[in-house]
Amino acid sequence: MSDARLALEIPGGVISALLIAAALVAVIVIGLRHLGVSDVRRRRALIALRVATALAALLVAIQPTWSGERLDQRPGRLAVLFDASRSGIVRTGEEEDARTRADEAEALAARWSGAQRERAPDVYTFGAALRPARLETLAEELAPIEDDTRLAAAIEAAAEGPAGDELGAVLVVSDGADLAGGALETATRLGLRVHAVALGAGASLRDDAIAEVRADRVGFLRRTAMVRVTVRRLGESAGEIPVALMRGEETLRETAVVVPEDGEATVDLAFTPDRLGRSVYRVVIPTAPGDAVPQNNERAFLVRVARDNLRVLLVAGQPSWDERFLRAFLTRDPTTDLISFFILRNTSDMTMAQPEELALIPFPTDELFHEHLGSFDVVLFQNFEYAPYQMAGYLPRIRDYVMRGGSFAMIGGPLSFSAAGYAETPIAEVLPVGVLPRGTAETQAITTDRFQPVLAEDASRHPLVALLPDARANAAAWAALSPLQGLNVTTDVRSGGQRLLQHPTRRDRSGAPLSVLVSGSAGRGRVMALMTDTSWRWGMTSGGQQGDASAYERFWDRALRWLSRDPALEPARIETDRESYGPSARMRIDASLADERYVPLGAREVTITVLGEADRPLASADVRTDGEGRARVELVAPDEPGGYRVVAVERGATDVLAEEVFVVESGGQELADPRPRPDVLRELAARTGGEIFEDPEQAPDLERFDATRVRSLGVVTERPFASPWAFLVLVALFGAEWILRRRWGAR
Amino acid sequence: MRDRGGTLPQPSEHDRRSVARTAITLACALLAAALAPHAMTPSTARALGESSLFDVRSVDHEGGNPRPRETAPRRLAWEVRKRTSIDTRLEPSRARLDDPSIFETPFLYWSGDAAFPPLSEPEIAGLRRFLGFGGFVLIDDASPDDDGFDTSIRRELSRAMPDAPLARLPAQHTVFRSFYLLQRPEGRVAGPDHLEGITLGDRVALVYSRHDLGGAWARDNLGTWEHSVTPGGEAQRERAIRLGVNLAMYSLCLDYKDDQVHAPFIMRRRGAAIP
Repeated sequence: MSDARLALEIPGGVISALLIAAALVAVIVIGLRHLGVSDVRRRRALIALRVATALAALLVAIQPTWSGERLDQRPGRLAVLFDASRSGIVRTGEEEDARTRADEAEALAARWSGAQRERAPDVYTFGAALRPARLETLAEELAPIEDDTRLAAAIEAAAEGPAGDELGAVLVVSDGADLAGGALETATRLGLRVHAVALGAGASLRDDAIAEVRADRVGFLRRTAMVRVTVRRLGESAGEIPVALMRGEETLRETAVVVPEDGEATVDLAFTPDRLGRSVYRVVIPTAPGDAVPQNNERAFLVRVARDNLRVLLVAGQPSWDERFLRAFLTRDPTTDLISFFILRNTSDMTMAQPEELALIPFPTDELFHEHLGSFDVVLFQNFEYAPYQMAGYLPRIRDYVMRGGSFAMIGGPLSFSAAGYAETPIAEVLPVGVLPRGTAETQAITTDRFQPVLAEDASRHPLVALLPDARANAAAWAALSPLQGLNVTTDVRSGGQRLLQHPTRRDRSGAPLSVLVSGSAGRGRVMALMTDTSWRWGMTSGGQQGDASAYERFWDRALRWLSRDPALEPARIETDRESYGPSARMRIDASLADERYVPLGAREVTITVLGEADRPLASADVRTDGEGRARVELVAPDEPGGYRVVAVERGATDVLAEEVFVVESGGQELADPRPRPDVLRELAARTGGEIFEDPEQAPDLERFDATRVRSLGVVTERPFASPWAFLVLVALFGAEWILRRRWGAR
Repeated sequence: MRDRGGTLPQPSEHDRRSVARTAITLACALLAAALAPHAMTPSTARALGESSLFDVRSVDHEGGNPRPRETAPRRLAWEVRKRTSIDTRLEPSRARLDDPSIFETPFLYWSGDAAFPPLSEPEIAGLRRFLGFGGFVLIDDASPDDDGFDTSIRRELSRAMPDAPLARLPAQHTVFRSFYLLQRPEGRVAGPDHLEGITLGDRVALVYSRHDLGGAWARDNLGTWEHSVTPGGEAQRERAIRLGVNLAMYSLCLDYKDDQVHAPFIMRRRGAAIP
């Protein structure tokens, strides 16, 4: 039993016990003073019985209880964890031919592999994750390429390994430079003894390093961006270090920062992206003679350069509440540049005023649809009829703008879709729904009833209508919104289109539900059709009556982002576990693939490839996705620093389903602070009952490391005076004293 | 012409001219009504339903006189439809502030000419929520020479919007150039040279006029103006109508006329605007 604890079960605990003890002592003392027996031997016997009775009464009354954990100790297995992180390349001396930490580990592995032992240990390497290894070949295989040192995760994984319950101790061979922390808590929780052999512990380090680079991942074209650089100096007197910001071989900024000895200094560098797309920037400091880790004198970061703002053109055929709320939404977002034109009067309106008394301006059709059309990310026609404004000549340009990759949405109203005569125009070629010719019966039969739109089949994953991630909760959220009123009648959903919302009862001429919201694509562009002009009711009416107006904003936020191809809303995505890797580091890549309708691709054969300059394939893996279109692969990062992309392509096809970019750095985060941390290992060993050896050459053979497995058998509680026997003893003692006193003539 | 005091004042020279004009207008209106009997009836709405229409919905409440200009909302709706591309509901509705239906149409017209008792808490909450979720309220004091309605309105607004006090709208505000170019607010009376408003974020959510706008708009079914307009006569009435149109336009377009593209045009025309 370990850590046995005594407790008293009497109410009041120790205080009650002391009071009872005092009372019993008083009873003894008073009893002795009136004993009335002169024979010394009889007197002593009665005193002994009185004391024994009082003691028994006290124990029965206070009920002392012993509890503690029962432990089982038996021989266990030893797991040996070799650090394979890139800090292993740091030399342990200042000479050119000095050994590296990895060399020390390899030498140790070679020595241990030659020894004869009864029980072979479980051997692993670790960095970001734990990997099985063999001691016999480890000296050749141990390559310091991992970008992380995650000791806690390694210990946890070792405990879950094949040794299972037999694991008794872990032996860590590492420099202790754990980036994640938490190893002590993990080992304590698992009840594992941790031994350690510290690498590089005794070496002094002379190093200048870029300790940290902080820059926004997204920059904006021709707008100043900042990168904050922290420089650290070890083992050298304070001094000035030049810091350069570079793109390719071009130096963009250069400054100097004064860094104290064994200290850090920070400097901000401004730069202005001048080209769209992704750019790799580098921060570089010179390499001084004797610098132990020249790899950390350079850090790279990736900036995705976008247009500074989303440019939206909103053309509205007449002022209405739907336009008012949409305009309010668009102008509220400072990252949106809105150009809007509302038709405030028609030729038939009687303004009762001279033109100079009006604040009206001509509709600049040529400027908008000829000169600047290509500069917009999204064009919205809201309840807008083209014919009265001599717009027919511009409609082919809008179609071509969409086919080239622009985005277009038509929003309903009495001046939209069929009623505005779009059936005969190039706009109909890009709309995702069929438009009836003007004059047909349905064209006039715009519905004006109130209705609760319902989600179309397979639509709940589409970001335009995914108000909530859970499909049932999402459907309920749509059902709870205020109903819409009025609907433009359209026909079939065109090829590439997807009906997202539909009328609950009405049907189009083909018998399909009447569409309310349809998304689609045309050429390289995205298009959307919303056949109502009362979406504002999802905001103000729902908000006023239910207290939550967020659905309106969420819907239009998603609509704008989807139309403008926000990468976060792409149906197929690839994610790397980090944005930056060291040379030859292991990359974990997760793919989540869906088609344009946001329906998961299901089980497909997919090739994931790392591409270098000029799309040269550098590494690839074939994988089969699961039923949800997900897959995970591991690839090795390229050797050379630079910017790369990883793409997913269905096998046998050429279209890229998804892509992501990443950079390879010569140093990276793992080498940003190359100092060994024997103190981490020291505390870990001391607190878990293990041993530490700070000189690898002093480390004993593996047999010598205590791998005793300690297992808890649970908490045991003993209550020796809670049995009837204790009470009978008490009664017997009391009875014996009483009988003897009576017999010996005492009172 | 209605007089709140209950006795008819002696007609002035201006009033006599006004009566003559009214008689001519009445004759013309009768002729027009005969020639076009449906001119004042709602035409077929182009909107997709009533939710799309601009409804000059009046506010009802207990006490006071919430209907001093009964025909004014209908006339404003008609003028807005006639002069602009806005589709309006020609038979405006009414609602109390505690009626959930106020969120069905984002424009409220609140008129009065007398003091009224405090609104109920649900009415205050309804007003607060209406403004907060995007609604627009036009408050029109029909008795600018009497502080009864004014005092009550200020009391209720300070209850509903304690953190957003009424403040004077600058002369350059968009409400004076959202459709017509106007120099100052005017209604049945010339009144103060400014409007007051409550601004929430970047929009004016409530406009308060002490010019009796409804008095200038009110017109009976035969087309007769119900109140004379002083001191500017029919030109002032026209400017009052234009201000009503501008306010309707502002509620629907917000600061659209503040967009950069409008600036040079408006600056150029400012000099030629009517006084």
